[in-house]
Amino acid sequence: MNLKEKVVEALKSVYDPELNINVVDLGLIYNVEIKEDNDVDVTMTLTTPGCPLHDSITTGVRYAVQGIEETRNVDVNLVWEPAWSPEKMTPEGLRLLGR
Amino acid sequence: MLPNTMGSETNIKLPFSFIIFSLLALVISQILLLVNGQMVVNGSFRIPAIWSAAHLLILGWALMVAMGAMYQLVPVAFLTKIWNEKFGFIQFFVTAIGIASFSWMLYVSPQNALLPGVFMLLGILMFLFQMFMTLRKQAKPNILTAFVGSALVCLFLTIFLGITLIYSLQTGFGAEYYQAIFKSHLLMGVTGWFTLLIFGFSYKMAPMFSLSHGFPMVHARYVYGFYISGLVITLISFFSDNSYLLKAGFFLLLVGFSVFSWHVSIIIKKRLKKKLDHSFSYALAAIGLGNIVHLAAFIALWTDQFTNLIGPLVYLYLLLWIVLSIMGYLFKIVPFLWWTYKYSKEMGKKAVPSLKDVMNEKVVVPFFTLFVISVLAVFLSIIIKSILLFNIGQFVLSIVFIAIALTVLGVLKK
Repeated sequence: MNLKEKVVEALKSVYDPELNINVVDLGLIYNVEIKEDNDVDVTMTLTTPGCPLHDSITTGVRYAVQGIEETRNVDVNLVWEPAWSPEKMTPEGLRLLGR
Repeated sequence: MLPNTMGSETNIKLPFSFIIFSLLALVISQILLLVNGQMVVNGSFRIPAIWSAAHLLILGWALMVAMGAMYQLVPVAFLTKIWNEKFGFIQFFVTAIGIASFSWMLYVSPQNALLPGVFMLLGILMFLFQMFMTLRKQAKPNILTAFVGSALVCLFLTIFLGITLIYSLQTGFGAEYYQAIFKSHLLMGVTGWFTLLIFGFSYKMAPMFSLSHGFPMVHARYVYGFYISGLVITLISFFSDNSYLLKAGFFLLLVGFSVFSWHVSIIIKKRLKKKLDHSFSYALAAIGLGNIVHLAAFIALWTDQFTNLIGPLVYLYLLLWIVLSIMGYLFKIVPFLWWTYKYSKEMGKKAVPSLKDVMNEKVVVPFFTLFVISVLAVFLSIIIKSILLFNIGQFVLSIVFIAIALTVLGVLKK
């Protein structure tokens, strides 16, 4: 498993506590970039601007990636464009919502 | 110790302070009602213990919980920080001391309730100032700002009319308008402040708790237009004593509320979350119940029983629309606040419970169903003038209120 795969796997441990679905299956993670010195940039969004769980989820993402031994600095970039839509969810995420 | 902030959000201690105070006020108000139940059954509503219980319920619980919810939801819904959190804590203490001492004074020495009443008033005015300063910082005001801003204006008018009422009673000033002022005080407090506030925040919370996506928002403008017009025309009808205007006002309020119900049903149909939480479902049911009461009030206007029916209908509106909505959302807001305190710093480090695990959802259906049944029993008892039914209904209602308050407080043990 390469580092990018390890990061994605670690992100699956971060759950939206309201929906009880992890951020990967929820389609919140737009991009994971591994830089030369194993610094990690995570670009992500939330289901709605002004989500009250904003800080909890982004901090959770940072902690989860920092928990991987090989990683150094972790940057979490929260973006609103493109906006989140249900199409970004995985089939597993949709299944957990009863879809 | 509670963490001080949720990052860019409000200091979590602030909404929590209001909500915990409100739940204690709810429990005490219901104990007062239970202890003095016999007096109520005998028709003695105007006794100090009942004044005290009523003010603890409406101001100590409903108003304080609305303030606490606003301290949490305004930054979320309007993407702007609370203007001054320190001022918020001072406002909490002033209002809490004001309401507690006012209710206590009503119980032991009603003639000396003026000074604590002024203290309480100061707390509410401080809240209005805080919200005014916060909302004016919002970069892009939207239709939610219109709803919440108008609700705050109605709260101010409710207080202003309440003071005018007391002044009129004591001095005889504007005695010919006393009834009109009293009706306006009720209209602004119940349908103005609480309803507009719940409308506004429902537009944020309903999509959030159902994960709705791609729904139209154009209906909200019509809701606002019809409901505000209804409020203004009804107010004018009170002072002009014009029954045609009263009918027109009630009609517009009914149309506004009906469009709101329709709009929320569109939002819910667009949801991704198939199975909704029970407490949220009851908050949605409260919309339907509020709509029915609006319809009943409009129909009652065309009968000769309106003056007999409007009191019980206001009671139904307060309990089945406003109180049920607040309780439904409390079951979502309190777990969120507690979860943020207890687990947000652990997320990503170890497995943490979901919000659903923090609240005992199993009790929602039996408690809330009993609540609706007991409210209907009290309503019916007033209509058919059955003391026995009133006694049973109010007893069950008080027990359910206490059980709900203790369940919500039980979250703090999770």
